[in-house]
Amino acid sequence: MKRIGLIVNPVAGMGGAVGLKGTDGNVEEALRRGAVPHAMERTRITLSRLAREQELHFVTCSGSMGADILQETGFKEFEILYSFSGQSSVLDTKAAARRFKEAGVDLILFCGGDGTARDIFEITGRDVPLLGIPGGVKMYSAVFAVDPVIAAELVVAFDQRNLRDSEILDVDESAYRAGILKTRIFGIARTPASAGKVQVAKQVYEEPDEERAKQEIARFIQEVMLPGTAYIMGAGTTTEAIAHRFGVQKTLLGVDIIKDGTLVASDVDEKTLLDLVERENEVRIIISPIGAQGFLLGRGNQQISARIVRMVGLKNLIIVATPHKLAEIPALYIDSGDSDLDAEFGDSIQVISGYRIAQRKKIHQSQNTTG
Amino acid sequence: MQTKILLDEEHIPKQWYNVQADLASPLDPPLHPQTHKPIGPADLSAIFPMELIRQEVTTDRHIDIPEEVREVLRLWRPSPLYRAHRLEKFLKTPAKIYYKWEGVSPAGSHKTNTSIPQAYYNMKAGIERIATETGAGQWGSAMSFATMLYGLECTVYMVRSSYTQKPYRKSMMHVWGAECIPSPSTKTNAGRSMLEKDPETPGSLGMAISEAVEDAASHGNTNYALGSVLNHVCLHQTVIGLECREQLAMVDDYPDVVIGCVGGGSNFAGIGFPFAGDKLTGKHKDVDVIGAEPASCPTLTKGLYTYDLADEAGYTPLLKMFTLGHDFVPPSMHAGGLRYHGDSPIVSRLVHDGVMRAVSYHQSEVFEAAQTFARTEGIIVAPETSHAVKSAIDEALKCKKSGEDKTILFNCSGHGNFDMTAYDAYYSGQLVDYEYPDALIKKSLARVPKIQ
Repeated sequence: MKRIGLIVNPVAGMGGAVGLKGTDGNVEEALRRGAVPHAMERTRITLSRLAREQELHFVTCSGSMGADILQETGFKEFEILYSFSGQSSVLDTKAAARRFKEAGVDLILFCGGDGTARDIFEITGRDVPLLGIPGGVKMYSAVFAVDPVIAAELVVAFDQRNLRDSEILDVDESAYRAGILKTRIFGIARTPASAGKVQVAKQVYEEPDEERAKQEIARFIQEVMLPGTAYIMGAGTTTEAIAHRFGVQKTLLGVDIIKDGTLVASDVDEKTLLDLVERENEVRIIISPIGAQGFLLGRGNQQISARIVRMVGLKNLIIVATPHKLAEIPALYIDSGDSDLDAEFGDSIQVISGYRIAQRKKIHQSQNTTG
Repeated sequence: MQTKILLDEEHIPKQWYNVQADLASPLDPPLHPQTHKPIGPADLSAIFPMELIRQEVTTDRHIDIPEEVREVLRLWRPSPLYRAHRLEKFLKTPAKIYYKWEGVSPAGSHKTNTSIPQAYYNMKAGIERIATETGAGQWGSAMSFATMLYGLECTVYMVRSSYTQKPYRKSMMHVWGAECIPSPSTKTNAGRSMLEKDPETPGSLGMAISEAVEDAASHGNTNYALGSVLNHVCLHQTVIGLECREQLAMVDDYPDVVIGCVGGGSNFAGIGFPFAGDKLTGKHKDVDVIGAEPASCPTLTKGLYTYDLADEAGYTPLLKMFTLGHDFVPPSMHAGGLRYHGDSPIVSRLVHDGVMRAVSYHQSEVFEAAQTFARTEGIIVAPETSHAVKSAIDEALKCKKSGEDKTILFNCSGHGNFDMTAYDAYYSGQLVDYEYPDALIKKSLARVPKIQ
């Protein structure tokens, strides 16, 4: 029996339809503009596909944060672990997450956007796997299933041994409303992976698990890293695994610099990188795609700006990602802020996915992503 | 409008063609893996019958095919040569496309062309059992069929990823009386040590070769047989190209382009060597002979031309060939038969000398080509073969652009009737386009043994 904690952010997504680019702190304005909550509808799609599953036991929150929709979709035996009154808020989301974590649920299934993901992750960290039903305005975080139907499939197939890392992206709300997308990686959650399952059925053999895949990538990159060359290492657990092979403690969420097996600087900003690139003869960049859409540039790693990439040169860009992550991402996105540079990437790119193994992945251009 | 060009059974070649006779200088010899000195026949006699060792090294231009072997080859040879009218029409190309259809053999591919003579010579030498390996299962089934005909036992070490993916290949081997074991296995020292290093390994041809060689070397009544790479294997496959040359002559044609897919190189050698010979001897200087290989295991296009081991464990002689390093485990793409780190020494030499050339393709594009072929010509080809199909289509499209009416010949080496899961993966968008990160690797082929 799997214990699933369900949190619905009933106001998620309301801001989007009425041009608010986000609902946090704007519920009343959204309602005034005539927004209709649609998180319930999204959750209904997922739950109606789970109603006949015998092996799932739901714990949830009262009313519109979970109990109502469970009842509507035919679930009879679920527990309410958190009750709220009035208009639900961020505090209720966090309180519910805390109760679920204490109750030892196997997975938290939530419906909302990046804000909801961030609020829940702030409480659970990596202790509880998270899976998002996309229901918000912005969903750049990688915890979200592609759609509510896939979310249901992932819940059914959920197995503690088959999890992948997923970046929770923090979007600067006020900048976003002003039309500027500023993101940073807030944390890296664990999320049910579909890749392993798919690979077993359709591919030749079971892909190595996520951890092992990272080690294989790290073993290969270590073998091809050159002396006297400065490496700009982007955020994430795959680049962290590479640094670990040198015995270097890299920041998980920041951009660090490694040269000749030692850490030169950590959590650097764009200016530090510019100084480095001007100073060093040989520089390479190692990054991993970020978030649900698989951004190479423009999300999470924004310190590695278009200017930096141009100075280092596209041929000195090394992309790394586990097969699991790549299986979740049909194509990679680039939104460096320099559309000429974005175009120079062409329509596909090589991504190192194992020891002496790479995959060729398609690239979407940035104009398709932010609209 | 003639579609099939057929030869009478009497036209099954009476001699194999040995391209070694026409090389400007002899091949670099195989070296002993420990001493690094050239090996002699005695070094090979523990695992091969003497006649095959002789064929491995001879520079005689023609070698007689025993009548007992030709009798068996009659079951499916001469194989038909097709003119791909429908494919040409679909592509709107002025090029003429011909394909040699080797899928008509009982095991479904060209592999029986050499399994039959290999089993025959072993039987003649008094051997009772054959140990061999198989990648995608084509060679294992071909050898099972051949050993059954000559009353030998057969043990096949099948690369684990293929063993799981293609259960019906294993069933075929059972029907023909062979034993099929997933490799690496616990039956051999090599297998046990590989499993110890990596219990989850998908296996590789290199690993399976080590197991089969160890099995043969440790049993007195048992010999080893290899389905590709070696000179005598390539020699046996030349019946393909020899028949093609005769069939094309029947319609007063000769190819401008000759194509085969390449893993270990034997089917490419089979169709390519007779034409490469014509090029070497100056009869047809301009024939373009192309090997099509996977981007995930691009031995000829991205490997080093150097001495390397033919297997994972280091039991085999060192061969001078294009190699990605004997410890390279290619990703598990669907063309399992092309997952080999090295290549035939003769093919390697001819590519190195510019007599033949190579191209590489990703999985998705070769399946797309295979679909085009199936929807025009009807045949659902093996994933390995689809690399040759892709190359032939590319060449035909080049002709469309240039307006040239070239004659393109390719080896349609086997059917894909046991590969439908691969086609399913293609249709469900699950195919991964693996490739070899050669730009990063250039400096790191450190594990290839250095021979001075």
